[in-house]
Amino acid sequence: MARNNVLLLLLSLVASAPASAQLLVGRERSPPDLSGEWRLESDEDPGQPPLGDYLGIPYNDAGRQRSDTTAESIWGTSEYRCRPHSAPHQWRGLGGARILKELDPLTRDVNAYHVQFWRSLDRPIYLDGRPHPPAYAPHSWTGFSTGEWVGNTLVVTTTHLKDGFLKRGGPQTSDMYTMTEYLTRNDDYLTVVTIVDDPIYMDEPYVQSTTYEYDPNTIVQMESCVTSALGEAGGTDPHFVPHFLPGQNPYLTEWLGEQDWIPEAATRGGAQTQYPEYVLASPSGTRRAALPLSRSALDVGRMIAAQSPRDGEVHVLPVQGNIYMLVADGTNITASVGPDGVLLVNTGTVLMVNKVRAAVDALAAEVAAAPRPNPCAGANCAGNPHGWASPAMNAIVASPAAARPIRYIINTSAAPEHTGGNAKLAVEGFFARRGGTNVTGAAANASVIAHENALATMSAPPGDAAPLPPEAWPTDTYFYDFQKLSEYVNGEAVIVYHAPAASTDGDSIVFFRHSEVISAGNLLSTVSYPFIDIDGGGSVQGVIDGLNHILDLAVAEYRSQGGTWIIPSHGRLADTADVASYRNMITMIRDRVRQMIDDGMTLEQVIAARPTLDFDGRYGSTQGAWTTDMFVEAVYESLAQR
Amino acid sequence: MKQRAGFGTLGLLAGVAFAAGFPVHAHHSFGATYNLKTEITLQGKLVQFMFRNPHSFVHVEVPDEQGAVHRWSVEWSAAGALTRQGVDRGTLRVGDEVTITAYPSRTPGEFRAQMLTLRRPLDGLTWGERSGEVVD
Repeated sequence: MARNNVLLLLLSLVASAPASAQLLVGRERSPPDLSGEWRLESDEDPGQPPLGDYLGIPYNDAGRQRSDTTAESIWGTSEYRCRPHSAPHQWRGLGGARILKELDPLTRDVNAYHVQFWRSLDRPIYLDGRPHPPAYAPHSWTGFSTGEWVGNTLVVTTTHLKDGFLKRGGPQTSDMYTMTEYLTRNDDYLTVVTIVDDPIYMDEPYVQSTTYEYDPNTIVQMESCVTSALGEAGGTDPHFVPHFLPGQNPYLTEWLGEQDWIPEAATRGGAQTQYPEYVLASPSGTRRAALPLSRSALDVGRMIAAQSPRDGEVHVLPVQGNIYMLVADGTNITASVGPDGVLLVNTGTVLMVNKVRAAVDALAAEVAAAPRPNPCAGANCAGNPHGWASPAMNAIVASPAAARPIRYIINTSAAPEHTGGNAKLAVEGFFARRGGTNVTGAAANASVIAHENALATMSAPPGDAAPLPPEAWPTDTYFYDFQKLSEYVNGEAVIVYHAPAASTDGDSIVFFRHSEVISAGNLLSTVSYPFIDIDGGGSVQGVIDGLNHILDLAVAEYRSQGGTWIIPSHGRLADTADVASYRNMITMIRDRVRQMIDDGMTLEQVIAARPTLDFDGRYGSTQGAWTTDMFVEAVYESLAQR
Repeated sequence: MKQRAGFGTLGLLAGVAFAAGFPVHAHHSFGATYNLKTEITLQGKLVQFMFRNPHSFVHVEVPDEQGAVHRWSVEWSAAGALTRQGVDRGTLRVGDEVTITAYPSRTPGEFRAQMLTLRRPLDGLTWGERSGEVVD
């Protein structure tokens, strides 16, 4: 009898429960949950490809040459030792994968997945609809990933990736590729289809797939690289760049000695080698599909240009510490903003000066003069020396304090794009010479600092017309190897280093020692080859030396990325890895041109031989103020002057 | 009497087991980095021994035919594997005269190699001549 009563009670409770409460018991699991520990099951590759095997990789000539001339020993150099596997290889590296969920604490929706591998960084895949960063934001090993469910497949789009390798041990990628991944879970199996779209080096996107099996007993090992990578490289030149000259890598066909049934042509890759229509046994040699069957979805020219937008606007990118990068119609300005005022490294073109001034004022007001939320209330505010209950009252009631002025301008060279705003911004700035605020007139202008060779260029020899008015000229020049600013600016040391005979004879780089930021001036551009003014005292070796100096000063935060940020004259914010890749490129081109000169080739023959072939899609130009031919000529001239 | 370093079978087996359980996978590819079809001999003075995972390194100053001294970096096995083969942090000292055979780097102009054998004439210490003493 008692048992029947309990049963009736339970039934009545269930019957009276509101429908909404029943729905809350559990939510439909769709799409599937990807989180967990995953063990690498299989992929298409039998293992690491031998040197020179690009079969199935849709390489164009540039990609082929980039891979042919890359030496695996590059991984022993300072800026490469701690790099993780490149993104296309991560799913295939040893050690399995761990996928974690980042949940919204309120809705319990999955805001992001985080993927971790043995040799990788944490890689977030955002599902919350956030946009990708602007093109002038830095690139990283994992890139920036967003995901979207299409049925039960998570489609992941990754941008902002650094250059690296497509497969371990040879095939290379540029830093302009995007990656699209399709993650599909079927019971305990996870299939990852990866599409690498790299129009710099490939005629078509490259597709590969990898399968994982759910395995809660597997673990992703930890691997630190703090000290385990020192001392790999031999010799005593810390800036040695291992590479092969084009056509002089003798190892590309070595493996065919044992696999002599494979035609060498097939190993050179190309879009046609991806398809079944590429039949090796065809009597006519090869039978081609109507290629390309697919095309890149990327407008890479537009993507590169977007790193340095020439849109007549000023875009502000917070960098680190006191430092901001102002992208002013395609030319970068470095700004230190804080309680002491503003220090600018370069001032942009004269056409942009009013917008630069407005952007700087807005930053200065935001950073150093904006009212702050009341940090305390009532009795918690004891000790206010002025007798107010709230020390923040004045800031809230009154208007914000005036923005602090521009106190310093440092010019990294005399280039018009870096000095065009000098006159106006220096005059409207303020530097307290001869004691305090009573200083007026020209004596109160902001201090303009540059190497004395830059002053000579800006002011012109006596009797010649100066390219800039006197108020734009540097007021404080240096002629040593470096010049420390004599006092902290916004709480940190600022050091200006001379880069002799680089872009010109008057180049400087500026190191913000606490913020860990270097303004590289014309030594670095992520959208072009470096500008080298031979008549102005520049040289390719000076550019390389300057970049090496930046690498000596800069320190990566972890895994050869981040840490010290480097602001280029044009293009996206960079780090040591980006500078190393740029330095490597220029070193390789220098060595190629040097070899051609040693072989007796004329300038015209060198240009026709295209020593920059594998980098032209990324940095080259056939029009505008600085073409590829002009760059090659500058390299040639600076080497021929030896 | 010169002392000859010995490496027991038990240690070798332990080393193999260790390597099997804990892969020491360098970030670079051996086959792509070194020319495994060529051997070189380096004879000189040891200036550094980095005993560590995932791979150890010795640095040796070696004069070339013109008498110029070059600092060679020779990649060796993981510290765990070497330990089980009888090599520890104190086995090699700065200043040791050593003779090394190695696979050279494929990269022209680079002073880097992968260890095949090491011999220290002073006491007859050898590595690389017994089964299992290979860099992997």
